[in-house]
Amino acid sequence: MTASDPITAAAGDLAPAASGAITLRDVTVTYPGGTRALRGVSLSIAPGEMVSVVGLSGSGKSTLIRTINALVPITSGRLLVGEQDVSRLSGRSLRELRGRIGMIFQGFNLAERTSVLSNVLVGRFAHSPAWRSLLGLPSAQDKQIAIEALDSVGILDRAWSRAGALSGGQKQRVAIARALSQQPSVMLADEPVASLDPPTAHSVMQDLLRINEERGLTVLVNLHLMDLARQYTTRMIGLRDGEMVFDGPAADATDQDFEAIYGRPIQGRDVLGSAP
Amino acid sequence: MSAAARPQLRPPSPAADRGAPSLPPRPSRTGPTVAAVIAGVIVVLATIELDISWTSLGEIPGRVANYLVLLFAEPNWEKLPRALFETWRSVSMAWLGAIGCVALSIPLGILAARGVGPAWVRLPLRWLFAIIRAVPEVVIALVLLTVTGLTPFTGALALGIAGIGTQGKWVYETVESVQEGASEAVRAAGGSTAEVARWALWPAAAPSLMSFALYRFEINIRTSAVLGLIGAGGIGTMLSNYTNYREWDTVGMLLIVVVVITMLIDLISGSIRRRIMEGARPRVVDRTR
Repeated sequence: MTASDPITAAAGDLAPAASGAITLRDVTVTYPGGTRALRGVSLSIAPGEMVSVVGLSGSGKSTLIRTINALVPITSGRLLVGEQDVSRLSGRSLRELRGRIGMIFQGFNLAERTSVLSNVLVGRFAHSPAWRSLLGLPSAQDKQIAIEALDSVGILDRAWSRAGALSGGQKQRVAIARALSQQPSVMLADEPVASLDPPTAHSVMQDLLRINEERGLTVLVNLHLMDLARQYTTRMIGLRDGEMVFDGPAADATDQDFEAIYGRPIQGRDVLGSAP
Repeated sequence: MSAAARPQLRPPSPAADRGAPSLPPRPSRTGPTVAAVIAGVIVVLATIELDISWTSLGEIPGRVANYLVLLFAEPNWEKLPRALFETWRSVSMAWLGAIGCVALSIPLGILAARGVGPAWVRLPLRWLFAIIRAVPEVVIALVLLTVTGLTPFTGALALGIAGIGTQGKWVYETVESVQEGASEAVRAAGGSTAEVARWALWPAAAPSLMSFALYRFEINIRTSAVLGLIGAGGIGTMLSNYTNYREWDTVGMLLIVVVVITMLIDLISGSIRRRIMEGARPRVVDRTR
């Protein structure tokens, strides 16, 4: 799945979006209820960076990550993915942009009653005609891409299992395969390991790291655990009450930095521990 | 973070100063009492205009017993083949009506669900369902009779249309109760609304919708007998005719057939529904939490 494959080449006019750069300028998000989830966040992420977004729940990190694929619309400011202004996109052009941005979730978000393969093929929706996806008749090429994605996370043998029958770690791998089959340039991960036990959490984080290193994807991952941020990401962004209070190399972030982000002393539950 | 600084419990000292704790004064109950009395008066007044001859109430048990003997002492099994044939027509009517109702209500119901169709589609559909729910099947059948004539097809058509009101509501409520996670994932991957409906909502809602479809068939079995009374054909028409002829032994046989067949179908359909819903439950327990 290199840049020379036909799907990427066919993107043509989407070439700018294929770049994994992300730029936020003074981005604010106010929810309809009046909650201000993000306040004037400005940052710029280069293609291929491995970035963690750290903060307590309610700090706005879920909102931040969802603005990038416009699951949450920004209220003001400017947000660019590649050279595309995300807030100006709608309908087909928005779906095409989303097709280039993979996303995984804390709750895995699989269709539990369908097969693993069908779940992974969701990643091809933005890249194939609607009649194929609606009738469940993927092209041979789309199927091959899904199979390769499943193989790359090591669960190809479960392709015909019901997604709901898998363990948590396997479900998250299916979700990663679904995102990979989009052949994205950006990968978003919203608390991807918060529902997993420590060994599984580490192996999923390693999968993300591998994706970042081998495919050069920009990875933006929400975490609330300090040690995971330090160990797996190169750059860390700290959010507190919707404001960016830290931006620097993750490895250099001190306990004091984390206390400033959390707004309270470090506690035992802020680390996962047991690195494999 | 400020929770630690905020006092969680009231300090005990003021209570000690006030002596033993006592209940605050009971809130006034005058309002509810007056409302209850008014409601009671209305209920009693409502029966006055009905012109009920209370004296005849005592004669009812005797009459009922009399008719029970007429009906069931010696049911006339002579017309059983005819009765079974008419039952078959009733069941066909119910089945056809259920298929039509389900085939229409699933797409319409999904469109009417919040988060799927736009408001200008969703709201009119919901009004349509509400209006249909307000019209009894019999009334719809009577209207249709004038157009299509006295046939079991009229009955099936009436059942199909009348069911959409409730069935459509069940569909959109089921779709709305589906967990949002999978829908969000399909949208995040660039899927359209139709793709969200097909690959996130449908897999999650399908078992319930299948179960509701069978339930519609069960309901239609019962309703089809009622539609027979107004002449839509089937066992209901036969029942109505023999009641008019006052051939009580045949009516008794027909009642037995109706009850047995209805219970039998309920039993079979109910057990299939149970299997569908059990199959829908995840078989492997998620051990990660």
